[in-house]
Amino acid sequence: MSRSVEVTVSRPLGELLEFICYVPFRVAASLATIGFFVLAAIAPKVLQTHDPLAIDLSSSLQSPSIVHWLGTDQLGRDLYSRVLEGAGQSLAIGLGATALSMSVALILGVAAALSGGLLDSILTRIFDVLFAIPTLLLALVFVTVFGPSVLTEVIAVGIGTAPGYARMIRGQMLSIKGTGYVEAAKALGHPFPRIVWRHILPNAMSPLTAMVTIGVGQAIIWASGLAFLGLGVAPPAPEWGALLNAGRNYVIYAWWLEIIPGLAVTIFALSLTIVGGHLQDRLEGKI
Amino acid sequence: MLILMNGNEAVKRVAHNPLVWFARRILSGVAVVWAAATFAFLIQCLLPGDRAQIIINVRSGNVGPAAPAELAAINAQYGFDQPLVVQYAKYVWRILHGDLGESYQQHRAVAGIIAEQIGPTIVLAIAALLMAWAIAILTTLLIAGRDNIWSKLLSGAQIFLATVPPYWLATILLVIFAVNLRIFPVVGESSPMGLVLPTLALALELSGFFGQVVLNEFTRVLEQPFVTSARARGMSDFGVRLHHVLRHAALPGITLSGWALGKLLSGAILIEVVFARQGLGGVLVAATSSRDVPIVSGAVLISAGLFVLVSVIVDLAYRILDPRMKLT
Amino acid sequence: MLSPTARPTRRFTGRSNHLARKMAATLAVLSGLSQWTPSVHAQEGVAVKRGGVIRYGHFQEPACLFGGWVQQWYLQRQYSDNLVARSDDGKIAPWLAESWTISDDKKVYTFEIKPNVKFTDGTALDAQAIADNINGWLSNNPDLRNPTAAPYLSDSFELAKAIAPQRLQVTLKVPFEPLLNVFAQSSQGILSPTALKRGLAVNCEKPVGSGPFIVDKWRHGREVTFRRNPDYNSAPAIAKHQGPAYVDGISWKFLPDQTVRYGSLITGETDAIYDIPAVAWKDANSRFAVLRHITGGTPLRLALYAARPPFDDVLVRKAFAYSTDRKAAVDTSFLGSLPFEGNGALSQSSPEYLHELGQAYAYDIRKANQLLDQAGWTERDRNGVRVKNGNSLTVRISYSNAFLKPDGEQALQVIQQQARAAGFDVRLQPTNPADFFAGRNLGPDDYEIVLLYWVAPGAEIFRISWKPDQNGEPNRFNPSRFQDSALWEVIQRAEQDFSSAERKGLYQQAERKIVDEAPVIGFTVLDVTLATSPSLKDVWLDHGSVGEPVFYDAHFDERK
Repeated sequence: MSRSVEVTVSRPLGELLEFICYVPFRVAASLATIGFFVLAAIAPKVLQTHDPLAIDLSSSLQSPSIVHWLGTDQLGRDLYSRVLEGAGQSLAIGLGATALSMSVALILGVAAALSGGLLDSILTRIFDVLFAIPTLLLALVFVTVFGPSVLTEVIAVGIGTAPGYARMIRGQMLSIKGTGYVEAAKALGHPFPRIVWRHILPNAMSPLTAMVTIGVGQAIIWASGLAFLGLGVAPPAPEWGALLNAGRNYVIYAWWLEIIPGLAVTIFALSLTIVGGHLQDRLEGKI
Repeated sequence: MLILMNGNEAVKRVAHNPLVWFARRILSGVAVVWAAATFAFLIQCLLPGDRAQIIINVRSGNVGPAAPAELAAINAQYGFDQPLVVQYAKYVWRILHGDLGESYQQHRAVAGIIAEQIGPTIVLAIAALLMAWAIAILTTLLIAGRDNIWSKLLSGAQIFLATVPPYWLATILLVIFAVNLRIFPVVGESSPMGLVLPTLALALELSGFFGQVVLNEFTRVLEQPFVTSARARGMSDFGVRLHHVLRHAALPGITLSGWALGKLLSGAILIEVVFARQGLGGVLVAATSSRDVPIVSGAVLISAGLFVLVSVIVDLAYRILDPRMKLT
Repeated sequence: MLSPTARPTRRFTGRSNHLARKMAATLAVLSGLSQWTPSVHAQEGVAVKRGGVIRYGHFQEPACLFGGWVQQWYLQRQYSDNLVARSDDGKIAPWLAESWTISDDKKVYTFEIKPNVKFTDGTALDAQAIADNINGWLSNNPDLRNPTAAPYLSDSFELAKAIAPQRLQVTLKVPFEPLLNVFAQSSQGILSPTALKRGLAVNCEKPVGSGPFIVDKWRHGREVTFRRNPDYNSAPAIAKHQGPAYVDGISWKFLPDQTVRYGSLITGETDAIYDIPAVAWKDANSRFAVLRHITGGTPLRLALYAARPPFDDVLVRKAFAYSTDRKAAVDTSFLGSLPFEGNGALSQSSPEYLHELGQAYAYDIRKANQLLDQAGWTERDRNGVRVKNGNSLTVRISYSNAFLKPDGEQALQVIQQQARAAGFDVRLQPTNPADFFAGRNLGPDDYEIVLLYWVAPGAEIFRISWKPDQNGEPNRFNPSRFQDSALWEVIQRAEQDFSSAERKGLYQQAERKIVDEAPVIGFTVLDVTLATSPSLKDVWLDHGSVGEPVFYDAHFDERK
């Protein structure tokens, strides 16, 4: 936990620079992987070898080859290009869900920690209730109520993972609130919102950056789990979960249709975990 | 680890009188379940679209609007035409009597449906929990404090396993070990052999999490003087490790196991679908896609109750096992 | 997934009127029936191995062991008997009724009931028991009402009564030719009246019939176990043997995941499975015995919304049909496991099916473009989509996986791409089952095309699909909204015609008109498939009905 007395907003920037300069190999490899997928998400056409939606009935269900690096699906569409095409939607779902989850968690967690007293107990109780419901079940509830769509998926995963973050943020806030420099700032007559903004939030946020990094990967896994159950969106667009769900039926005869999208999810989430873990180590090492 | 924090908080709250503590714990548990029940009720009301319409069409397999008379009959049957407050009061009253409502699709009591399906799910969850701990402890014994290629590989594997989507892993295990190699049955049903693959699929992910936590704890312990002295007394390296790893895995083990409950239930839903196993998973997925809300909200209520129960047990176990906590 | 909506439609069969014509003479047509006297199909004498339990991997699990859904018919076929049976070629054959007569005015049916038959709870299966069943189907008692029989018979049915212990009389208000077809459906299996008094909840779990198997236990989410009825003496004339079943029982497992289901057959954990996955179709044919029944009624078809632009113009409807190579789409997507069906009006297993319509609207992009030009869709925007009066030629296809296998969704993606060449902007609107049932993407302004079907044996389905809106009440089963009074006239005339040849002719006239007007475009068929391991013999599908698997004659060969 970071408890340095000098807190400035610009600190994370410097940290980032420093972080990039001294990275072990696995972190570098992970960063490269993330970069690759982010590029695929932003500009899929750059990396694709085929049109991911182009149907070519003559080359259906081909195993990986030089022409089709990761094989083709039933309609002869190039799986490699489809996985890259799907990166955009999957990343968007992961980021969206994490952003939602973090915002909810921040608002509730900060409110709980700062208010204390009755509001704190009520909010803590709400976290308890939501925490008591397994993430996937909570997501199923949202899908049941609103029907499957990208938005539902984002909301379901976002709300499902929020209680954990909220609890953590509350804990962070409480521990910072009690530290000497906050007391000192109070004694100096700084207005309370300013103290929160300048001192408490930045300190609470640092450890969160690591959690967010890991969280995006986890959110993608949850979302593709929903899609895997057939409760995600089922468009022609090759979102990773949809690819996993479609590939499942072919797994005995066309293994690549299931293995490859799963590998994409795993590798991406793994890279985020490694980077997140590294961030965490760095931040904790600063104590 | 947030749960460790929560455990500590709970422990701090352990006032001096255990009875007071226990009473408060139970009360807050009841509050959580009540809130979950309210949440479950709200879900049913929030449902967009006419509930009666959905019920009629799902039952008959038709699409398109039903006749007003048909709708009215369903509304009357389920009491949808009554004010929300009345519906809520009836709902809570029925829950107090163990009645979770009736499935729209199966025409059976939700409590009965969940009761008959939850058994296999709990068996799977517990088996996976035990297996995850076995794997985590074993790998920790092998790699903690060592710096060779194997320990690096194993700890890499742990991180990998903690990330890999369990439903995907399950599909791969099924195809390789059941369909192709025929070591395990494809249709597991209730046989012990049939439990192996689903358990493994569920446990591997968890073992990655457990392993990382235990490893951190344990690496610290290994550096402490009493370990060195034990070695000096001639205890074998493995003996020292086993002794300490178990001792130091115990406490985080309890809290982590409690925390894992939610993860296990989530995972079990997916794994059961992959293996076409009997259990809550199949029922919940079917209920979700046909908007059988009573089943989904019943499951919400039951899992909240389970969670409360487990966390009380965890806190109790903590009090009993960790004498230090009583001193604070 | 076959027919989540097995609709209770039954046929006025043309061919069975070989029988009906003779009956029209008036009385007993025992001559026509003699060919059906039991034990004609004899495996009697041939030593058949008895014993063993069939482990059968099924797909979907219903909420009750009987009812209007086809998944329930499959189950009921195992434990109950019907009044009459229907053979593969559509002839009505004796079952619980050994013979019957039809009055001159075709309103009174008198059945002679097979003696000494008992339900498996010991209740006597006599004329009174059957009358109680039939009257219950048409009553308003929710425990007894039959969702399949009621819509057929409620307009014509008057009363069923036992006029002697073994003689049943069914009286109609107006003649209804398909009555016996309705009685032959598995959902009209006769259940023990004593057991029915226990109420719906108990009967759903443990129904009691007189069939070759007895429901032993239903482990929800897992399996239904059946055991042999040792006293079985009421097999239908169309069965391959008489007397008790050969096997000791059936373990009817619910395995919704197709990898698990097919995998279990590969590893020998099941002896038979339902619904062979398309991807395994070739493999299954090479190593297992494969049974298939193509269901009657409508094929799986694209219904084009004909009440507003662009598909209110028959030229545009035809253009869409020509612009899509649906045959290639079906062949590739279903990997050869399902045939293409170009006749959108009627499924190929219906007796009135016209083969020459099976290839209607074969892919012809030039013709499609020509028709669209002719219809005034001459301009194109920069994406190549045709425009007329400022409106784009956009086609939204609504569908749900409740009505479409995953492979079918792939086929739609092919169609989407193909139609683009002719200037159609096709958008897919996948809808999850619950939303679909709630009416999402199905409103009058929500779609240009929808994928639906309706399982029935024959052309009587036309009544369901093409009955025009009457008295302000829209026909909710006509998603194309195509209304044609001349067509309806022909359909009604067919229904009232007791001459099989004429009726068939009328139905085919209607069929031609439907295909010609193209409010529906053929896509593929719906089928029931079963793969059985080589050691399990003589499983058959009830082609006379909707293809229910029949395990009564099944037995294991010596190796087992």
